[in-house]
Amino acid sequence: MKIKLIRTGGFIPITKAAETEVNLSDKELASLLVIIKPDPAAPRIKDGNYYELTVGSDSTPVDLEKVPDEYRDIFSKLKSDLKIIK
Amino acid sequence: MCKTHYNPIHCIIPPYMLTRLMESGNKKIADLAIKSNFRSFRFRNDRIFFQKASQYEKDILGLIAKQTGKEIMQMEVYDCRQKTDLIGATLLWDSKNNQKITSVAGKNVIKGGKASWDFYWQLFGRNSIDNKGLLIRQYVHFDKGMDNAYWDGRRMIYGDGDGLVFTSFTSDIDVIGHELTHGVTENEANLDYENQAGALNESFSDIFGIMIKQRYNNQDVKKSNWLIGEKVMIGPKYALRSMKAPGTAYINHPELGTDPQPATMDKYQNLPNTQSGDFGGVHINSGIPNFAFYVAAFNMGGYAWEKAGRIWYAVLTDVNLAQNAKFADVKNLTIAHAGRIFGINSPEVIAVRQGWLEAKV
Repeated sequence: MKIKLIRTGGFIPITKAAETEVNLSDKELASLLVIIKPDPAAPRIKDGNYYELTVGSDSTPVDLEKVPDEYRDIFSKLKSDLKIIK
Repeated sequence: MCKTHYNPIHCIIPPYMLTRLMESGNKKIADLAIKSNFRSFRFRNDRIFFQKASQYEKDILGLIAKQTGKEIMQMEVYDCRQKTDLIGATLLWDSKNNQKITSVAGKNVIKGGKASWDFYWQLFGRNSIDNKGLLIRQYVHFDKGMDNAYWDGRRMIYGDGDGLVFTSFTSDIDVIGHELTHGVTENEANLDYENQAGALNESFSDIFGIMIKQRYNNQDVKKSNWLIGEKVMIGPKYALRSMKAPGTAYINHPELGTDPQPATMDKYQNLPNTQSGDFGGVHINSGIPNFAFYVAAFNMGGYAWEKAGRIWYAVLTDVNLAQNAKFADVKNLTIAHAGRIFGINSPEVIAVRQGWLEAKV
């Protein structure tokens, strides 16, 4: 399946995105999204960046600090591939 | 494993791993994991509570961060070595030992941090971010090519830039002053980071950031170009923001297009209060109060921090500035403080009124 990482926010609000093909089952993806779900009560970081993961037409906010080791390479690559959306 | 004890569950472990351990068939491991999870929950909630607490509540509850209490600047600078692990960052420099360093980013934040501390102390008698001598912590070289700088509630963090559109976010003193001022705001009105209050939060950071730079460079209101982050953005025609002419910091940039900031209230952008909506356009609509400040300061003449800066600082530290303040609230408070400081019929009051009038607030 194709997943897309979208980054928003920052000192000047820029939207960046990168996508990749991954070999994850729907069940695996669903449990991953639960693990990396941001804490809704966490205070907003001033000028911070925020991330969303888009699969198909669904977008979910994600906290990259919570990504388990086995998926870290996927997200590191996505992060390094982020390009500004014009 | 922690150095002080030898049970891995007592150490910082990722939540997904903790969840697995809590479900372990080994009762001892599961019990320890549950206790660890409880401690983490309490720690997270304490952090959230303290971040949202007012200054009064913080005072009642005691200190929540390392404070020196001394009336001298205390600062530490850490090198993240392009990683995202703040705990593993190396101490590069501290004000106590004043080590010689070669890192340009490190030198930049020392310079910017000192200029910011001096600004608040020498002009307003403010002892650091919390006015209680808080140790200023700055982290440079965070992540690989991160094109951002931010205040995370306790410290300032800077990326090196992507090298294409942005260079190091430590390159401009106003950016450093901007981030440090987020800490000041958090310790004062603690303006909500959304909609008009969020745009005011951003604007106070820009206003004090530009004045810190102007003072460092000995620039009066005419000499300053009122640009924020002109070195951070690569290319001589670009900056992150213009306070003199919001919406013109970058025009037809090949990657970014055109600066979206409005200068006047009739162009206010009603964006959704979401991550992708910049929480109601906090970095976009801040152009409006920024422009009001610029006009007021310019009309007063001289150095911005001598008159306009005094008025805006009085507002930032006024207990009547509500956490969910709107532009009109800050307008009224700036007029009131200008009248209190300089006289109700003073040229300064007229300049402040003119600023908000031109910003159409």
